[in-house]
Amino acid sequence: MNALSITGLSKTYRGKKLQKVTALVGLDLEVAAGEVFGFLGPNGAGKSTTIKSVMGLIRPTAGAVKVYGVPATDPSSRSRIGYLPENPSFFDFMTAREYLTFVGVTCGMDRSVLHKESERVLGLLDLAQAADRPIRGYSKGMVQRLGLGQALVHDPDMYILDEPMSGLDPIGRALVKDIILDLKQRGKTVFFSTHITADVEAVCDRVGVIAKGVLEAVDSVDSILEKGILGYVIRFCSSDGSDGVKRVSREELDAAMRQLLESKAVIKSVEPERKDMESFFLSVVVRS
Amino acid sequence: MNNFRVIFEVTLKSLIRDRLLQVLLACALFIFLVVPALSLFSMRQVQELSVTLSLSAISIILLVLTVILGSSSIWRDIERRYLASVLGLPVSRTSYIMGKFFGIVTFIMVGSILLGLVATVVIALVSSQYPSDIPVRWLYIWAAILMDGFKYVLVAAVALLFSAVSTSFYLPFIATLVVYFCGSASQGVYEYITSDYGKTMSAMTRNLISSIYYLIPNFAAFDFKVQAVYPLAVPFQGLLFTGVYFLIYTGMVLMIAVWVFNRRELA
Repeated sequence: MNALSITGLSKTYRGKKLQKVTALVGLDLEVAAGEVFGFLGPNGAGKSTTIKSVMGLIRPTAGAVKVYGVPATDPSSRSRIGYLPENPSFFDFMTAREYLTFVGVTCGMDRSVLHKESERVLGLLDLAQAADRPIRGYSKGMVQRLGLGQALVHDPDMYILDEPMSGLDPIGRALVKDIILDLKQRGKTVFFSTHITADVEAVCDRVGVIAKGVLEAVDSVDSILEKGILGYVIRFCSSDGSDGVKRVSREELDAAMRQLLESKAVIKSVEPERKDMESFFLSVVVRS
Repeated sequence: MNNFRVIFEVTLKSLIRDRLLQVLLACALFIFLVVPALSLFSMRQVQELSVTLSLSAISIILLVLTVILGSSSIWRDIERRYLASVLGLPVSRTSYIMGKFFGIVTFIMVGSILLGLVATVVIALVSSQYPSDIPVRWLYIWAAILMDGFKYVLVAAVALLFSAVSTSFYLPFIATLVVYFCGSASQGVYEYITSDYGKTMSAMTRNLISSIYYLIPNFAAFDFKVQAVYPLAVPFQGLLFTGVYFLIYTGMVLMIAVWVFNRRELA
């Protein structure tokens, strides 16, 4: 069973002066269990609308969303999800520890397990020192980390993270990437939206690109990077002891390698020269 | 049921920690401090005036609390983006609304009882200093306080309904006050149009006013102040009818609030 199944999802809003605003058009998407899926798109592309539909916060104009086979309109579908909203905000009169307890209890966690998990998550996200302070005194980065903490605390099967790196410093961003990679190793499903292509390249198995409400492309990260290879840079040490660098196209690689080996050169490295995820993303968005 | 309880507890905790409400309660205590002094303005009915002023003070304080709490509860959670976080958990919107409502109700009823206790001390003090020929009937005074509490629970339900619809604080705040004042005056207006004077009005006007009378909540039904001040027997049947009316009306308002909120887009 797929962790997330979206079929024909469309959403139309009534904008100012009762004008129709189309946010999503017939979006079809399936995310397998254990997969890390990056949802890329420029601002206003429909990423958050898709996520809000998955979380049951808005009602689709057409189409259906299922989480592990349960319709997203059923609140029980969210018991297997850890959700981090975009620019999250939590009851600011509570402390971080109280908020994690609140989340754990709503998810039906046993109190003793919840206590242990809260402590673990607070430590992981470097919030232990501030755990008993009201959230109203937190910085934006701390709130974002608490957002991740509340998504992690009940150890759900799937994580839906809306712009998880937003508002974080480089240390925080690295921490989030590590957390996602750890979740991937533990077989959890992660669906996260971003417009930062490097994040997708670093942690995702597959990527979807959405633009103007239309899902324009879905492919595996490996495949995109493979297709983007323009050529290779070979660094070698020739038989007379001098270092050399040779740029070859994909087609020329085998011949170039053979030639170097025959001339008794020592190959030091072979690095692909390729278009990165950003080029892929830009090409898809421009095409739309 | 579990999530209803969790939202209920969180709502109650938020109200207890709310600094604005703490200031309001401090103001309420100050008002009660001046009741004995103000009661002296009535030379012959000091005790009666102290009962009137105490009950009126409770009513005004509860009105302010209820309108603020009922109007701002959902709006604040949406405005501050708390709701997206809460409804991202396996919490149904029905549990959320009901948890919120019963959190507010508990606060109002506990507030009524606490204010009632302060009023009891003030009235006891004044009646011991300036005894009246009319005895103080504590049961009637407490019946009036509790019925006032129920009235504000109904006001809170109305405010919550407006709050479930609105995207701003002002609509539920103003609309609740309008319903409150209309609902408090509706009994008098209805009695006027059904009297001989009312016959001078057109049938259409009378029908329109009658329809509004039946549609909006009748808050006058909860007013037992006169019975409390001049110990007049509180008819059991009257209390029973008011109780049943309260349960049915509040239940209906809540059902509509839940229905509307379940259809609301939280973009």
